[in-house]
Amino acid sequence: MPIEHLLILGALLFCIGLIVVVTRKNAIAVLIGIELMLNAANINLVVFSQFDPNQLQGQIFVLFIITVAAAEAAVALAIVLKVFHYFKTADLDKINELKG
Amino acid sequence: MIELRDLIATTDFNPMIYWVLALLAIPLLSFFSNFFTKSKAPIWATFLLLANTGISFYLAINHWYGDVVSIKGVWFSVGDKILNYSFYLDRLALIMLVLVNGISFLVHLFSIEYMRTDRQKPKYFSYLGLFTFSMLGVILFHNLLLMFVFWELVGLSSFLLIGFWFDKKSAALAANKAFLVNRIGDVGLLTGLMILYSQFQTFDLEAIKALMIFSKIEDGNWVAHFTNNGVQVMNTLDGRWLSAAGIALFLGAVGKSAQFPLQVWLPDAMEGPTPVSALIHAATMVAAGVFLLARVFVLLDAQALEIVAMVGAVTAFMAAFAALSQLDIKKVLAYSTISQLGYMVMAMGVGAYSAGLFHLVTHAFFKAGLFLTAGIIIHQLHKLESDTAKFNAQDLRVMGGLRTYMPITFICFVICAFALAGLPGFTGFLSKDAILLNATAWAEIKGGGYYFVPIMAYVTVLFTSIYIFRLVFLVFTREFRLPKMVGDLNIGKRLKEGNWILLGPAIILSILSISVVFGANVKAENTWFMQFIETPIYLVPQAYAAFSLVDLPESTIQGIHNWVSFVSIGLAVGGLVFAYFSYRPISKKALIFQDAPEPRGPLGKLSFYHFYLDGLYEKVFLKFILFNAKSMAWFDKVVIDGIIDGFAKMNVIVAHIVRWFDKYIIDGFVHLTVYTSGRIGHATRSVQSGNVQAYILSAMAILIILLLWLVF
Repeated sequence: MPIEHLLILGALLFCIGLIVVVTRKNAIAVLIGIELMLNAANINLVVFSQFDPNQLQGQIFVLFIITVAAAEAAVALAIVLKVFHYFKTADLDKINELKG
Repeated sequence: MIELRDLIATTDFNPMIYWVLALLAIPLLSFFSNFFTKSKAPIWATFLLLANTGISFYLAINHWYGDVVSIKGVWFSVGDKILNYSFYLDRLALIMLVLVNGISFLVHLFSIEYMRTDRQKPKYFSYLGLFTFSMLGVILFHNLLLMFVFWELVGLSSFLLIGFWFDKKSAALAANKAFLVNRIGDVGLLTGLMILYSQFQTFDLEAIKALMIFSKIEDGNWVAHFTNNGVQVMNTLDGRWLSAAGIALFLGAVGKSAQFPLQVWLPDAMEGPTPVSALIHAATMVAAGVFLLARVFVLLDAQALEIVAMVGAVTAFMAAFAALSQLDIKKVLAYSTISQLGYMVMAMGVGAYSAGLFHLVTHAFFKAGLFLTAGIIIHQLHKLESDTAKFNAQDLRVMGGLRTYMPITFICFVICAFALAGLPGFTGFLSKDAILLNATAWAEIKGGGYYFVPIMAYVTVLFTSIYIFRLVFLVFTREFRLPKMVGDLNIGKRLKEGNWILLGPAIILSILSISVVFGANVKAENTWFMQFIETPIYLVPQAYAAFSLVDLPESTIQGIHNWVSFVSIGLAVGGLVFAYFSYRPISKKALIFQDAPEPRGPLGKLSFYHFYLDGLYEKVFLKFILFNAKSMAWFDKVVIDGIIDGFAKMNVIVAHIVRWFDKYIIDGFVHLTVYTSGRIGHATRSVQSGNVQAYILSAMAILIILLLWLVF
């Protein structure tokens, strides 16, 4: 399996995640997009770990990332929950407190 | 070289200061406390004055033979100039203390009854307290500046008491007149102070006297040479300033002691309550001028003294002449006071220091006595006044025959009248004799035109006797004229003798007018007063000093003494006889006196209107001053106000310009800045949309651009 296909898959996945993050209105959908982008990075790490057959540092790092991403998802969801409680909506267009 | 700092150095602590301060503090307390004591005011004020009289008697008895007490201290200093205060208790001060306190006490006592029905009596007694306080200040202080301060306070209390019944227009006007006329004199006094200060750099009288001894006349210049704080001082003035200083100081006395030409205020001052006239305008305040002359006596040079003598003689004559025809009992006494003050001033002028002061003391007693007895008569007559019977209780025309109604008052009045006329056996004779003797001796030495002074004095003796016995006959003899005038024949029955509070002070004062008080003899120089109060020698430089009567050989005086006494007694008795034949009970004048009009004929009018001085001043000075005042008012209104108005208008215009500048230029800049930053803010704020996704997008785009730039 040529390495280019895998890297293109990773890039595609990252782009899909980015588009989800930028375009979706719902905060939870944005979180899903972020997860996609993380996984795109994971794919890259896994792909490049074939150049390190002895230690497989890339694959091990992916495991860490998945763990941390799970924790991050929990925290992010809690934040979204709080935001929803506070603004009574999860629509990011409506939550524009940072407007100058 | 004499050192000024030594002369005004602070003296060691002297317990006498407590007595001195007590003498000043007690009347001051009376002044302040009587605003609050209400109905108790008369008793309280009289009690305080009794205490003060006691203190002054105690001091006089204890220190009569002692050394002169002189207490000095620093009042304040400006830069290296020190102004000191000083108290000086010599025999003159002691006798004045007893005199002022004593008469003030008697007048307080008299006023208890006299002012019983007056609603304002707390104020009255507190003013009396203020007066006594200020008068004692003049006596006790020996520093010209402080004396001047109290001198003004005396003037103020006189003003307040003359205008005590200020709802009466004439009283208010009289108070103003007295105050203003006195100011003229005070300007003179102030000038004298300034001349002496510029020459000697101190106001302390003892220091001035000491420095005066050491000042010299060199080439017509008056040179004072001394050291001040170790620095040599040499003050040179034209010699005429020495005379000017004396005359200026005398001018103060002219105002206060009602001398020609400033005597016009005293007759009007009779608008005040009668006890006030007795205390202030007969016995004490008007004598303050004579007291001041006595204090500065040794600083007066020959020329100043001549003027003093002339003014005194002229005043004595003019006032005595005016007293001849007055129809108001108090006016007669007022003119008499001016005339007697003229005697005292004349005595000072001829150098008869102790005789002048002697007359001051005797006059204080008998004139206060005359005023108080007149007060009793006025007070008792006032009680007869009712809605149906209106009359002027001071008018001689309503009196007459009061001897039978008020025998004690009559006796007191006659005793004081004898003293005033100068009949032997009464105090007035002694002091007047001494003055006449000295004046005659003075004229003998000077000769020529200077006989004017004693001649005026002798004529005044005659006039004095005539007007006072005219008063006695008109008031006390024949029948009571009031019942006929008001048409109520029973009104006389209600007239009674005054009560003992009124009579007591009058009796005491008339006893003090009998000559045994001063020693049982007929020659003034044998009285204790003349022997204890000695005439000092002049301290002015020799070239300017007057001839001192002290240097006169005893034989010269003795040679004319009998002659002088004979003439003065003869004139006094002559006046009595003349008055008797003019106003005796059966004389034609006395019979029709109730209808007596104001005098006609040139002489009578001249006398009644006091040489038309008031009219003259009104025509000349008042008109001139009013014209000046009016033109000044015009100048003020048109020119000064115009300038100020113009200035104000200019200010407004400038303000308008400044406002325009402020609004359009300064504010324009501010607005421009604000507008600019606002536009910039507006332009940049759209970036901060608050949309997180937009931020991410832009971050990503920039990241990609950055990467592309890095890679290629």
